[in-house]
Amino acid sequence: MSAVPVLRVSNLTKRFHGVTTLDQVYLDVHAGQIVALIGPSGCGKSTLLRCLTWLEQPDDGFIEVAGKPLGRELMPGGVVRRHSRRQIDALRPQVGIVFQQFHLWPHMTALENVVRPQTVVLGRSRDEATRRGAELLMRLGLADRMDRHPHALSGGQKQRVAIARALAMDPALMLFDEPTSALDPELVGEVLAVLRTLADIGMTMLVVTHEIGFAASLADRIAFMDRGRILEEGPARDILAAPKEPRLQSFLDLVRTDHRIVRTTANPTE
Amino acid sequence: MGFKLDYLLSILPRLISAAAVNLRLAVIIMLLALVLGTALTIVRSRKIAAVNACIAVVISFVRGTPLLIQIFIAYYVLPAVGLDLSPEVAGVSAIAFNSMVFVSESMRGGLATIDAGQIEASTALGLPPHAIWLKVVLPQLFRRIVPVLINEATIVVKGTALLSVITVVDVLRTSQQIASSSYRPFETMIGSALVFLVINLAISLSGRLAERRFAAARA
Amino acid sequence: MHFDPAILVDYWPLLLQGAWLTLQVSVAALLLGYAAGIAVALIALTPGWLPRLVAGFYVEILRNIPFIIILFVVYYGLPFWGIRLPATLVGTVALALFASAYYAEIVRAAILALPRGQFESARAIGMSPANAMWHVVAPQILRALVPPSTNMTLTMMKESAVLSSITVPELTYQSLVVQGNTFAPFEVFAAVASIYWLIAAAIAEASRRLERRVGAVQAEAVSRNRIADRYLSLVARRT
Ligand SMILES: Nc1ncnc2c1ncn2[C@@H]1O[C@H](COP(=O)(O)OP(=O)(O)OP(=O)(O)O)[C@@H](O)[C@H]1O
Ligand SMILES: [Mg+2]
Repeated sequence: MSAVPVLRVSNLTKRFHGVTTLDQVYLDVHAGQIVALIGPSGCGKSTLLRCLTWLEQPDDGFIEVAGKPLGRELMPGGVVRRHSRRQIDALRPQVGIVFQQFHLWPHMTALENVVRPQTVVLGRSRDEATRRGAELLMRLGLADRMDRHPHALSGGQKQRVAIARALAMDPALMLFDEPTSALDPELVGEVLAVLRTLADIGMTMLVVTHEIGFAASLADRIAFMDRGRILEEGPARDILAAPKEPRLQSFLDLVRTDHRIVRTTANPTE
Repeated sequence: MGFKLDYLLSILPRLISAAAVNLRLAVIIMLLALVLGTALTIVRSRKIAAVNACIAVVISFVRGTPLLIQIFIAYYVLPAVGLDLSPEVAGVSAIAFNSMVFVSESMRGGLATIDAGQIEASTALGLPPHAIWLKVVLPQLFRRIVPVLINEATIVVKGTALLSVITVVDVLRTSQQIASSSYRPFETMIGSALVFLVINLAISLSGRLAERRFAAARA
Repeated sequence: MHFDPAILVDYWPLLLQGAWLTLQVSVAALLLGYAAGIAVALIALTPGWLPRLVAGFYVEILRNIPFIIILFVVYYGLPFWGIRLPATLVGTVALALFASAYYAEIVRAAILALPRGQFESARAIGMSPANAMWHVVAPQILRALVPPSTNMTLTMMKESAVLSSITVPELTYQSLVVQGNTFAPFEVFAAVASIYWLIAAAIAEASRRLERRVGAVQAEAVSRNRIADRYLSLVARRT
């Protein structure tokens, strides 16, 4: 575990029309770790991921990726300096995100989805980008699907293309928003296998999930979020075996009786 | 030479009273277009092949040629065939004819959305066709095409400005007369632009309010 | 009264010249107006209330004033600001200005109809807004743009008849010249109406070909929300 975390979030706060959605979030993710972020629906998990890619601007707090500040930074003397759009865009490839609905670009083939950002954002040559894209898709088991358009791919295949698209940018960190929720339940094992391959090559990951079983078998650490706050964070075993927070306890009870939590479930503590 | 706001304000009263001409003609045109458009729609609904083929040619002509040309036809051609109309009447006929076609076309679109079951039920009850049209179809149809009719009304108001070209003394022609003696054509034109802007914004706004009323009444 | 097309025999060249100018002016105004329309649409979609307000004013003002008045405002306005241009150029600029408001609404609605995630995923991976628009948004909305834009272009071509009132020698102007010489309104306007109708048919055909060329967009790309559809069909209506 190196000294500088791959992701350091401090005091991150986000309000929508005065409603606090993220409330002073602190979170560190170290190199090679897989952190699962769990919590009831509407607690702010997706919002946190969107802030980490600066798709939402947090109202307060700081984000550091591999030691580099993203979006704004604290200067000596307590002055907060906002970054320009260019500075933010330059750091964005460092944070790969795989959206719940993948958001592949339907007018491009699978391979082109992976190649285009490399040439446009990183300025790689087409040859180099194609070589890298093909290699990634091959490793993710899509060798024979590269020339297909997204509409001709299954959900699991789309997800792997989205993963390859992000990986091709050589990110320091990968974010996943509920990687199992848009797929059939049978595919959970498959997603798990894919994420494990990423772990094998040492990728650092923050994975939002509803599936406790999935979190338990994948993550090194688990963070529990409720009402915009991270209430408890620690090694996965400890969190699942001996939760300290009463809200986490009741959340786990609920999820264990249900196994698959219904997406519309209200805050279980209420 | 700067922009003279006080001059612009001084001519506004004359432009506004000229706007009464545009408004009066627009109201007449809209009424004609509604009545004739409805009649045309009913005729088309009879599905007499030869008649509908002729109507299709007329529609294609109206949609494929400029309104200004249609106005010139009413102004120059109709007298030549013995119909001597005043510029106002010629202009009103041309725009009303044009608008009639668009009203009928939007009614055709609206008809497709009316529940066929109601017509069948009314027929089964033995209602005569004119009663089905008046009591069942048209009330729903009009309610459905209110937004289109509002839009059409603003188009008709804009269309009346073209009548200045055939010597009708409307807002535009009045402002041209004013400008020819004041030598301030730019401010004068801005004045007539403002007049039209206000009229049409008022129409769209009241239309939107009416629509909300309708929506609320149905809910 | 009888119909005698032979009266026009000496005047065909004049009418065809007029038709050619109508076509040229329309194409120039299409290009100019579309460029301006795209710019206005992008301004309207910029975050913040001020750009949206400015773009909204632009569109509403131009859509609620008769084109003939817009034409005269430009015609007298340019010299007022010290700019002197030939009438044909003035007319083209006014026509482009008029059409740009409607094109802006078409483009804006098409962009809004695209799922947000398309633009966001491009931004999140590090593309600039311009690159995200160019590589991800533009290719997907192209097809949806064609039908309403064609409609608007037809409307604009027909409005170009109004340029006759500032002496631009386009088709309508020439028809009035011929009418003044021949006093044969029936023949003249039958001919002119047919020419306009042919130009309209040519534009519609060009649009069909264009649609076929950009038709290769994938099924997923055209999924759009209902709000946007309302805008799309609104501008596709009448202008
Ligand atoms: N753009 C927005 N504007 C206003 N409110 C928003 C916006 N985005 C999210 N919210 C609100 O913020 C809260 C957190 O939403 P978020 O999507 O982050 O929850 P989540 O934890 O991902 O839930 P789920 O498990 O259902 O995906 C919700 O109450 C949501 O309504
Ligand atoms: Mg979520």
